[in-house]
Amino acid sequence: MKEKNYILYSLLRRPVRSVSLILLTAFLSFSVFAGSVISVSLESGLKSLGARMGADIIVLPSSAESKTSFKNLLLQGTTGAFYMSGDTLERVKEVEGIEVATPQTFLASLKADCCSVKIQVIGIDPDTDFIMKPWIDESCSQELGDMEVAVGCRVTADVNETLRIYDENCRVIAKLAETGTGLDTAVYCTLSTMNRLLRAAEEKGVTHKITTEGEEMISAVYVRVKDGADIEQVNSRINGHVRKVTAVRMRSMLTGVSDTLSGVSHTITLLIGAVWILALVILLIAYSMMIHERKREFAVLRVAGASRRTMRSIILKEAALCGAAGGALGVIIAATCVFSFTKLIETKLGLPYLSPDAGRVILFALATLLISSLVSALASVWAAGKLSKTDPGIALREGG
Amino acid sequence: MAKKTIPPMILLILGLIIAIGSTSFLGPCIHQDGSFGTCHWAGRMLLGLGGLMSVLALLAVVLPECKPGLYVGISAVAVLGMIAPGALIPLCAMDTMRCRMLMKPAMTILCGLVFLVSTICAIAEKRKKKAP
Repeated sequence: MKEKNYILYSLLRRPVRSVSLILLTAFLSFSVFAGSVISVSLESGLKSLGARMGADIIVLPSSAESKTSFKNLLLQGTTGAFYMSGDTLERVKEVEGIEVATPQTFLASLKADCCSVKIQVIGIDPDTDFIMKPWIDESCSQELGDMEVAVGCRVTADVNETLRIYDENCRVIAKLAETGTGLDTAVYCTLSTMNRLLRAAEEKGVTHKITTEGEEMISAVYVRVKDGADIEQVNSRINGHVRKVTAVRMRSMLTGVSDTLSGVSHTITLLIGAVWILALVILLIAYSMMIHERKREFAVLRVAGASRRTMRSIILKEAALCGAAGGALGVIIAATCVFSFTKLIETKLGLPYLSPDAGRVILFALATLLISSLVSALASVWAAGKLSKTDPGIALREGG
Repeated sequence: MAKKTIPPMILLILGLIIAIGSTSFLGPCIHQDGSFGTCHWAGRMLLGLGGLMSVLALLAVVLPECKPGLYVGISAVAVLGMIAPGALIPLCAMDTMRCRMLMKPAMTILCGLVFLVSTICAIAEKRKKKAP
């Protein structure tokens, strides 16, 4: 019988043993693949959020000073219902060291029943905007016009469709790329469109605790400081010179999120490490017991003329095959679970979460398969070495 | 004898998980005011399909001579279970709703598993009958 056929025969002859080894390796590869994909998704989510929040300082009304507002704004891109006078923008611009300042107005989630999409409407000034515009430009070359909107990828409206917001018809001109944050469920429009929507909301009796009559309202001012200017100093100047606002440095907020994220990543890495050590020990014991159990079988093979090298090769190949099969099974189960429940994971973690692209996923899957096969083969090396040193005569006499 | 009942027992358990899950831990959106959307009906359909799978699996245990046909039937019900939430019966529009976030993926996986097991069993039974 050829070596390859013997290996397959040996694995199929003892299905319980083979299935147990495959399941053990599947558990290993599941933890590696799922852990890696989740870690990378969290990192991508944070990077994407950092790219979207390209300002140095964000100025919000003092009424929005609660920690939840800041955290939600940054972590999930979720805006709130807080407003300040449009004059604040001019007062912020007067502060020394500012290169550009752009306003944004938020319209709180529409009061919709369960089966309508709850959306955030964000009004931007296309002339000064440097936060959303680069992102919108990726999907659309057209400028946002009156009653035209760009929608996040999770808003159920396609380009050229009409989105009805507070009974006002808005034409969708672009669907934006995914960010993995609450920004994906938002709608972006110009400030003039926003003012019309605010008026429509008020006419429908939705109170946002604002007055739109005769005065332009804004929710936040995003600031980029001049090259060489001290961001901390500019931040302090805004807080000192402009009344009833709170200026916050974006970097310090991002660092806070980054710390949370690295904590989650470390926990995942530690868990994967612990699972691997445990599984490696179990595999070592399993292979050692398996070889001990098959002592007589291998002694007969030796007597029949098989070399020590052939013996080692058979054991290593058997282990690698079990490892590859288990690895593939683990990857399939992990991919099914992680990608099917992406939204659930994202919601439960409460952090920006952006799944990696197909190329990276395939790369992770191949790496996991390779690692599973190698670890299985490695776990059997010691048992194979021990077996090759055993005298076949003694093994046959000992029985088994 | 015991070995032969393992596949229908697996299908029976999966069917029960689908039926019980669709009304409890894997169920559609729960509204505080007692109202419900279309996802509620998707959950009800899954309850029925899960129950049907369980009955067919139980029949496969009791009537071994009808196994191939019963397995084909279970496969067809499983396909229906996969396409029911979302494709046949619309779910809530927002993807953070429980029906989209939990019920749909969980039921797709469970029904996919039922389809896989029952199809393999149907093929195995057919081969067994062909063998002299």
